Amino acid sequence: METLEAVTDIILETLLTSVRQVIPVPAAAQIPEVFQNSVAQSDIGVLVGFTGDLYGRIVIQGPSEVFGKIGETMFGMPLEGEMLHSFVGELANMVAGNTSTLMSSKGQTIDITPPTVMVGHLQLYGIEQGISVTVHLENAGEINIILLTQH
Amino acid sequence: MAKVLIVDDAAFMRMMLKNILMKGGHEVIGEAENGLDAIEKYKNLQPEVVTMDITMPVMEGIEAVRHIKEFDPNAKILMCSAMGQQLMIIQAIEAGAIDFIVKPFQEERVLESVRKVLSN
Ligand SMILES: [Mg+2]
Repeated sequence: METLEAVTDIILETLLTSVRQVIPVPAAAQIPEVFQNSVAQSDIGVLVGFTGDLYGRIVIQGPSEVFGKIGETMFGMPLEGEMLHSFVGELANMVAGNTSTLMSSKGQTIDITPPTVMVGHLQLYGIEQGISVTVHLENAGEINIILLTQH
Repeated sequence: MAKVLIVDDAAFMRMMLKNILMKGGHEVIGEAENGLDAIEKYKNLQPEVVTMDITMPVMEGIEAVRHIKEFDPNAKILMCSAMGQQLMIIQAIEAGAIDFIVKPFQEERVLESVRKVLSN
C-alpha cells in the first residue's frame, strides 16, 4: 500500500506532465508549495474533482490575460468574456482528462467531474491541505496548478 | 457532407468543433450540452453524425450513446473526449460509438474521423 504522500507525488508529477502535453508552449515549473486551509483567487480559476482509486480536486488559476494567450496559442483565436471562461473550463477538462489517461497506464483508475469555472476575487475553504505549483508558460505568463487530495 | 449534432458541455469546444466541421463542408444542425439534451436533439433532428463528449453534467456521453443506439441502432457517433484511456475507449465502442478522438485534437483528425464514421 502506497502512502498518501507517495500517491500525491505521482499525481502531481503526472498533472504537470499533462499541463506540458496539453499546452504546447515551453513550461517551467517552480518548486511545489504545501499550504493549509484555503485557496485565494484573484481572477479566474477552475476546479475539477477526481474520483475512483483516488479522491481529490485539481484547481488551475491565473490572470485572464494568461488564459487568453494560452487559448490563442492553442486554437489561434483571441478569446474573451464567456467564451474565455468556457475555454478555461475546457482547458482544465483536457489537463485532468490527460492526467486520468496517464494515471491509468500506472494502474490507477480515476474519473473526473465536469469543470466548475470560478470568476473574480474569491476564497475556497474546506481544504485540509494542498500543494500549489506555479508554472511559467513561455510568452503567456504564470498559472497556478493546485492539487487537493483527500484522506 | 453530413448533418452533424455536436454534443459537449463546453460552449468553447462546441464552437471549435462547429468551425472545423463547417470548414470541412459539413452542416451543424444542432448542439447539445449534456447527454440527456443529446438524446432529445437526436430524436428531433435526426443527424447523420454525432460528436459526443464524455465528461458532462446531467448525463455523461457513454450513457447517452447507449440510449441513442437503443433508439436508432444505425446512429453514427464519434466520441470526442479528454479522457483517452483504453478502458474509456473500449466502453465507448461497446456502447456503439464508431471512432474516438482525444482532446486536444487537430482539425484534420476530426474531419478524417467524420469521413470514417460516415463510411462505416
Ligand atoms: Mg466535457
